[in-house]
Amino acid sequence: MSERMDDQPRDSEPRRGWTEEDAGLVTGQATLDPEENGRILMSAVGVSKTFEGLVANRDIDFEIPLHSIVAIIGPNGAGKTTFFNQLTAIYAPTSGTITFDGVDIAGLKPHQVAELGVARTYQNIRLFHNMTVMNNITVGRHVRMKGQWFHAILGDRTIRQEEELTVERARELLDLVGLRRSVEDQLAKNLPYGDQRRLEVARALASDPKLLLLDEPTAGMNPGETRTMTDFIARLRRDLQLTILLIEHDMKVVMGVSERITVLDHGEKIAEGSPTEIRADPRVIEAYLGKQGESV
Amino acid sequence: MPRSSEFRSSAVLGLIAGVIVIYLCLVGIVGAFSERNVVTNVFTLGRVMLAIPPLIVGYLAAGRLQHRSIVGRLVAGGLAGAVGGAMLGLFLLFASAVDIRDIFLRVSPDLLDFIAFGQDPAIGAILNVVFGAACGVAAAGVRVAPPRWRRPVVAGALGVLITSLLEPFLRPRLQEFELGAVAKLLYESHGLTIASAIVVFVVVAAATYLWRPTRARLSRRLEQADPSTQNTLRWIGVLAGILFLFSLPQLAGPLLSQVLVLVGLYVLLGLGLNIVVGYAGLLDLGYVAFYAVGAYLTALLTSPSSSLGWGLPFWLALPIVVLGAAVTGLLIGAPVLRLRGDYLAIVTLGFGEIARILFLSDALKPVFGGTQGILSVGAIFGVGTIDLPILGWRLTGPTLTYYPLLVFCLIAGFVAYRLKYSRTGRAWNAMREDEDVAEATGISTVNYKLLAFAMGASIGCLGGAVFATHLQSVFPGSFNITVSITVLAIVILGGMGSIPGVVVGALALIGLPELLREFAEFRLLVYGAVLVLMMLVRPEGLLPDYVRRRELHEESGPGSLDATPGVQVGIPE
Repeated sequence: MSERMDDQPRDSEPRRGWTEEDAGLVTGQATLDPEENGRILMSAVGVSKTFEGLVANRDIDFEIPLHSIVAIIGPNGAGKTTFFNQLTAIYAPTSGTITFDGVDIAGLKPHQVAELGVARTYQNIRLFHNMTVMNNITVGRHVRMKGQWFHAILGDRTIRQEEELTVERARELLDLVGLRRSVEDQLAKNLPYGDQRRLEVARALASDPKLLLLDEPTAGMNPGETRTMTDFIARLRRDLQLTILLIEHDMKVVMGVSERITVLDHGEKIAEGSPTEIRADPRVIEAYLGKQGESV
Repeated sequence: MPRSSEFRSSAVLGLIAGVIVIYLCLVGIVGAFSERNVVTNVFTLGRVMLAIPPLIVGYLAAGRLQHRSIVGRLVAGGLAGAVGGAMLGLFLLFASAVDIRDIFLRVSPDLLDFIAFGQDPAIGAILNVVFGAACGVAAAGVRVAPPRWRRPVVAGALGVLITSLLEPFLRPRLQEFELGAVAKLLYESHGLTIASAIVVFVVVAAATYLWRPTRARLSRRLEQADPSTQNTLRWIGVLAGILFLFSLPQLAGPLLSQVLVLVGLYVLLGLGLNIVVGYAGLLDLGYVAFYAVGAYLTALLTSPSSSLGWGLPFWLALPIVVLGAAVTGLLIGAPVLRLRGDYLAIVTLGFGEIARILFLSDALKPVFGGTQGILSVGAIFGVGTIDLPILGWRLTGPTLTYYPLLVFCLIAGFVAYRLKYSRTGRAWNAMREDEDVAEATGISTVNYKLLAFAMGASIGCLGGAVFATHLQSVFPGSFNITVSITVLAIVILGGMGSIPGVVVGALALIGLPELLREFAEFRLLVYGAVLVLMMLVRPEGLLPDYVRRRELHEESGPGSLDATPGVQVGIPE
């Protein structure tokens, strides 16, 4: 339970976070509203994406129920990232519709989708490297803040309070993801790899998202770190009432943590179901694992 | 003693020094400066130029051999300097024997005579070896000395140099304040006297030596004081600073005030560009366009002889000018929203030129006056001279322009500071770091880019407005690409995104060359050298903006921020 994401025992100080005890720190134990249960938070209907004739996604139907952990898996080049980028409005689908929380996101800019409550992390960590740890998190909270440039110049009091609250909130997030508060003034690029991953999660959580998209969150991790990460993901959902979509290359990661798995191959959805169903699906085994059918 | 490989590396340093020294002679810097006395009858600025490269390599050579004995390090420094001097000697012999003036105009007999210390070329060559070696040993000596001593010596030498360079400004001022006797003691035929050079050196060195422990004691005392006293002291400090800034033109006189006005203009431009380039990361090479728009709008609105002919008072015109510049910022910003990096730079470069050519063009001559520009621009307070009865100050020309300019600079600095540590500033920084991620994090990159351009334009146009009313005329020739380049150089030299950095950059790149009138010819050469050196040695700039934060962090001590009420989880095992 106290495995750390990065295995280097750099300091003797015990590390917090990624653990059962802390996850409730920010919002407290959340209780699920029974009426909300089963509602669909995000759905894609018949989504296709072609790049100059090259089909990246073909006619994909996909749903994310509220408070679930859903995974999209598939081999390299299956079109996972293209699909992901359409969910965050970085690309517009060639055809089909995507709705989030009852809103059709067609025509929205990525920042507007972020404002609706979608936050993401990146496979190859993309922090704001030359900004401090604290500023990385407070930028993450940008959409929930109101201060404009003229407020800043005039030194508006409510905006100053907003700044203070944001800093306080960012410190709580540091605790939550298991970063020591003393790193808040360091530049993000000077953090070790594992801490950068933690910081990226903290930045995403800062915007109070409804849906958290994690793009290969365990890339570059050893099995121990991977298990800690998946535990953390499960706790995030439970304690922060989050809905989580995982993209994974590695099937082992998603088996334990997600309720529903969608498998993409060559841009098409080839299977969907619970981990047990997916595990047994011959098409998945063939397309994804190869014909040798190595054990999962 | 050092090994042969170590001698070799010192000699290589010497060769580099030699190349630089010969280069300085060929382009004419040494010749131009050989007329200017630093210490009369002892050495001139030209000699200083010949001494600097051997000094630097001597210092470096001694620095490379930290594990060697003091004597060894002095020898290494001397060797590096001597090699540099020897190369200059060879150059002297060669140029005396072969006339190379067809190619290198500046290699005149006068210059050769100067390099040879007025002696025969052969003797001069030997003297140069000795001179180079002496410089090298001296610099090595400074390097070997403990820092406690090193700093005062360097500061003293710089003090002598700067005091002598200030002569054209200082002497008339001293005479005006009836301190002509001091001026006479200090200076002799445009240089320091030997005695005064020694006095200046000793005073500056002693002050530097005593400053560090005093500062440490003072800051300790300040830390122990209770918060209200600290606050009072801080306010006294701010007040003293403002008082100093306000009385500066009276102390400095009209000549130096003119320099201050130039520096102030570039501080203003630098603060504006700093928002665009330093905060938001949008490399704008056409920043001069905003400067030009500010100047031309002011001229149009305030000059009775302009095409509008309204002749508004300056302060009434100013809000319109700022608004107009902000709109120009949006107009220039909108088409380049999708461009990044190099492409953005090229397109903005084009916009800068377009602005100048529009103001110059025949087609728009009825509006902007073409090459003749616009004359009789309104004075900043409507009158050319203001007498302050209480202080007995007479404000005119630069001493008058200085004050509104100072106020603009303070406002721009304040605005830049407030924005920097706000949601807006963070959004800009995020955009600079990674535009796609910033957008996905919820920052409307379109809005924030336009805001950056409009902000930069509004601050830049203030510079243009002051410029126009200061000269009381505008010409398209004042707004060429070199302005953009200079402002960018200031921002880079000071450190991208750093507000004090802009002031330091403007003082170094605008103020210093004004003190050295002979420099004017070589200004672009020096800018280029400075930028290359900065990129190699200190790419973050002279005053990078995170240093302060890092310092603060260390002062608060590691772990002091660590006392957080979190659940502690045991480490494995």
